[in-house]
Amino acid sequence: MQPLANITPLTPATNSGSIKISNVGQVFTTSSQTVVALEDVSLEVKPGRFVVLVGPSGCGKSTLLMMMAGLRQQTSGSVLIDGRPITRPDPDRVGVVFQEASLFPWLTAEENVEFPLMLRGTPKTERRAKSQDALKLVGLDGFGKRHPHELSGGMKQRVSIARGLVQNPPVLLMDEPFAALDEQTRMTMGDELLRIWAATEKTVVFVTHSLTEAVYLADEVLVMSARPGRIVDRLQVMLPRPRTYDMLSGDAFSSLRDRIWQHIRKSA
Amino acid sequence: MSAHTLRRLIIVFLVILWEALPRLGLIPELFLPSLSSTLAAGWNEAAEYGHALMITLYEVAISMVLACGGGILGGAVVGSLPRLRSLMMPIVSSLYAIPLVILYPVFNVWFGIGSESKIAFASIYGFLPTMLGTAAGIQTIDPQLLTAARSMGATLPQRLIHVIIPAAIPTVLAGLRIGGALVIVGVVVSEMLISSAGIGYLISRYRTILDSPHVFAGVLLVLALTIAFSAGVRWVERRASIWQTGTRGGQSDGEVSATALPFAA
Repeated sequence: MQPLANITPLTPATNSGSIKISNVGQVFTTSSQTVVALEDVSLEVKPGRFVVLVGPSGCGKSTLLMMMAGLRQQTSGSVLIDGRPITRPDPDRVGVVFQEASLFPWLTAEENVEFPLMLRGTPKTERRAKSQDALKLVGLDGFGKRHPHELSGGMKQRVSIARGLVQNPPVLLMDEPFAALDEQTRMTMGDELLRIWAATEKTVVFVTHSLTEAVYLADEVLVMSARPGRIVDRLQVMLPRPRTYDMLSGDAFSSLRDRIWQHIRKSA
Repeated sequence: MSAHTLRRLIIVFLVILWEALPRLGLIPELFLPSLSSTLAAGWNEAAEYGHALMITLYEVAISMVLACGGGILGGAVVGSLPRLRSLMMPIVSSLYAIPLVILYPVFNVWFGIGSESKIAFASIYGFLPTMLGTAAGIQTIDPQLLTAARSMGATLPQRLIHVIIPAAIPTVLAGLRIGGALVIVGVVVSEMLISSAGIGYLISRYRTILDSPHVFAGVLLVLALTIAFSAGVRWVERRASIWQTGTRGGQSDGEVSATALPFAA
């Protein structure tokens, strides 16, 4: 059903999208004090899994994500993606989707999607072909010439996802990508993301504040505690896929959400 | 009736008033010579005005390059280095509040009464707002955009060319608009004070002999100069940034007040 042919093929076996984080710690030192943001965090994500990180504000879940993106260095421990350490951003292995407003407002949607390709000097025609495929994948066929201010919040995030996928990295990191959207759009975007994920078979690590969103999207939810950030629980979400709206009111769904809430309430 | 046509009509009306009031004797020709006698005065001395215009344009052009070039460069450096910013900005901001025209006699002593003193004065006059605008523009760039670029593997030079510069363009242009207008003000005002050439000099000289038509002819020339400048800025703005989402409404008010300054000084 989806025209993915040019996006998904040829993922080399070595770049399958496994993540291994071992004993990672992060300490900030300011002039007056030392803050332990993350303490002894270890986790493993198998290729193609959808993992969601939740936790109270300031627990370091975004920091952890930024480490996987190579945007921040851990104080101790190691972050491996496909067996190799991440020390700086590597768009071949990792695509990142941020909150709203990370698109360049002076570029059109397709130019935004092509930005990472432009940085590495991909020829224009090849760039255009790839951005068209990526935009098609996220359901924005025909919107390539629009500027971000001409797109709705949900459409902007679709462009961001297309930009994260355009280089076909095995891992997609998402830092509260739907936090700025209204409730309905958020639900729709959740379904869209699951469709894209199923079609591309990426490993996804997704940070959110919304417990409902966490359970709805995830194969596995990792719950973090307040500072110092640690992983206090791992929940396997066994709900069948595709996920549907009526699962939200089911007992299985509620008990998972309640269990996460207990953790968060304890540390808040 | 659209605002545009209304504005045109108001201008036409003022032009008619300008011609009619002195002719009907409602205003003495000494205070306001009619438009036709002003134009005639200018036409009769066309060579003199042309020569003065060339000198003024030359001074404006050099000052514009110094003020805007220096302002953008200085603003970019100060805006991107937090330490330097906290050191410099208070000084620059308070300098901005000083009526710099008090320094003009000093420039006269240093550079003489020729073009050099005008260029020095107008350059400094236009430099400050351009620099402040650019520094603010660099400073207000959304850090999220830089993080996003970094996550896609952008190197520092790539971030500068593809993120920082385009993101700062609208604020820089706003600074240029004010800085450039002040350069014109600076040149004309300094010509009117102590000098030997230029439109400002002509205006001031004819004023001392109470030759109103020739004074107004000079005023008209300065007016034309500022209108040409602001049309030029608008052209640059249109070319340089595509993402102005209708936020630049009453910009013409600013131009009017800036062009009004030479007559007040």
